[in-house]
Amino acid sequence: MGASFRESMGWLHTWAGLVIGLLLFAVFWTGTLCVFDREIDRWMNPSTRLVYSGEPIAIDGLREEAGRLSPRTAPWAIVLPTPREPVLSIGYRGRGGFERTLFDPLTFKTVAPAESWAGTRFFFPFHHTLHLRIWHLGTWLTGLAGVAMMALCISGVIIHRKIFVDFFTLRRSRQPQRLLLDLHNTTGTLGLIFYFVMSFSGVTILASVYYPSGVWVAFEGGRSGYVRDTYDVFSRPHLNQPGPPLGSLDAMAATAREAWGGLNPGLVRVFHHGDRNSYVEVRPSIEAEVAMRTDPFFFDAATGAVLYRTSIRETTQVQQFLTGLHFAQFRHWTLRWLYFALGLLGCVLIVTGLLFWIESRRKAHAAADWKGVGFVEGLTIGGTGGMVLATLAFFVANRVLPSGATFRGVARYELEIWVFLAVWVLSFAHGWMRCGAAWIDQCRLVAGLCILAVALNGATTGDHVLRAWTDGKLAVAGMDLVLLAGGFAAAVTAWRLQRRRQGTAPKQFRHHHLEGQSS
Amino acid sequence: MQAVLIAAVLAVSYLGFAFLALSQDRHWLHFSGERHCPPRIARSLRIAGYALLIVGLGLALFRDGAGFGSLVWGTTLTVGSFAVVCTLTWRPYWLRPLALVCQRLARRAVES
Repeated sequence: MGASFRESMGWLHTWAGLVIGLLLFAVFWTGTLCVFDREIDRWMNPSTRLVYSGEPIAIDGLREEAGRLSPRTAPWAIVLPTPREPVLSIGYRGRGGFERTLFDPLTFKTVAPAESWAGTRFFFPFHHTLHLRIWHLGTWLTGLAGVAMMALCISGVIIHRKIFVDFFTLRRSRQPQRLLLDLHNTTGTLGLIFYFVMSFSGVTILASVYYPSGVWVAFEGGRSGYVRDTYDVFSRPHLNQPGPPLGSLDAMAATAREAWGGLNPGLVRVFHHGDRNSYVEVRPSIEAEVAMRTDPFFFDAATGAVLYRTSIRETTQVQQFLTGLHFAQFRHWTLRWLYFALGLLGCVLIVTGLLFWIESRRKAHAAADWKGVGFVEGLTIGGTGGMVLATLAFFVANRVLPSGATFRGVARYELEIWVFLAVWVLSFAHGWMRCGAAWIDQCRLVAGLCILAVALNGATTGDHVLRAWTDGKLAVAGMDLVLLAGGFAAAVTAWRLQRRRQGTAPKQFRHHHLEGQSS
Repeated sequence: MQAVLIAAVLAVSYLGFAFLALSQDRHWLHFSGERHCPPRIARSLRIAGYALLIVGLGLALFRDGAGFGSLVWGTTLTVGSFAVVCTLTWRPYWLRPLALVCQRLARRAVES
């Protein structure tokens, strides 16, 4: 611990950054991917690559189908399509747990089930559980990462000596340390608000997990009481008496749509289907505004009379705004791309921070014959480059595995996840074995896998970039283009690193008049 | 119209930060060769820079309303400023015309 306040903050920033850095990178990287979660879903589940432009659709035709699909008296729901999620689905509790049947929203023909967990079911849960569900371990770790990120943001500002003078300063220097620190400082300062808001909102979303005592103390009936009070949920009991048939869901949706000012419904859920006390919940689409507003209507299932309209309190509205701001499920393409760009900037921030730790200690550790730098370098390579490689391997595995593939009883979606985890673990080993050269290897592998993924997508589904674009499947074309751009960037990086390693620095790094000025 | 407005929000954010960067001695030096940015120019550049950022907020709010508008503004601030940093580092001569205009204006102000 240092003596002065700034020194102690420097100590905190250095060591908290080192310990939490890789965890933070995993959370930031998957979070950045989740900005385009539905687009990844389309790419990885080709049967759902439909085109739907957002016009209201009638769902009364699905009532019988839904009643037949749902074998128990548990609630079932119709999830309406959006342009980003162009399939209509019926969700119900089947014999094997929660199940979904997909339909084309325009023809109502069933669509082959989604075989991959893709974005919404793999990357999104990974972002907040790290695929570690035992004792909520992953959730606690990501919470720790969120709080640590806020502490790192604040301590980073305190230890930054010339935050205003260096605001726009990124010096191209032969010394890797100088460039890394400048990159770390500028990406950190310029994106500070975004990182802070994202960490804060992320922690508040899961606050009831981290601070359960508040829920136990303040709400009667603990967790269910908290949900009932916070979201003002209506319910009535099952009577075990057969009731009249289900009324028109479209009429209920129309009533709600009018009250919401023309907003399309996003979810129609039927409770106690067939019972005399059956009722229907209709929720709006969450695409229209920042806040993830639930604002449901409750109707009597038979008559369609309004039983209850939820009113959300101000505190809940704030919480829903923070949730919506973090989840980014709204329909705003500019903002989506801006989020993606800032997410990548955050990844750069974390990598440069770790690399600065390594580079600034390399000589001292070599002189003292310590193993610290080599160990951390391997960890960094596996945790950052390896994460990117694992993601790409996940995409490639998705296109290579045939439909319905199983291996020793492991389903296709699980095989993809195993590929992801295996590549991730292997890249740590690779990092430790090859040390500095591993960066070049991994950049080359990333470039190769990006191109392979795009090629396989074209070969196995026929939706190559041009055709996907002209067919209006912009999610697929966009993902291919991002993969190609990423592959190009990785190839250029590999080439530059290789040249630098051979001692022939590229021309761009010759002495420049910006260099060497007093800082 | 929507596309023009978002381009304007980005452009205004970029220009605003470019002005703020020019007002700093370190960056002024690259373009003018003068060691210090004259205080008069620095002050005008700063006022213009902050004003442009606020114009950006106005445009974003006008385009997208309070909720989306504030988020668009907040995120374009980062993108705009980081673009200025990249320009200063890899393509500094792009900003030379801007610096020349500022110098000429300043000289005219001194002469009059």
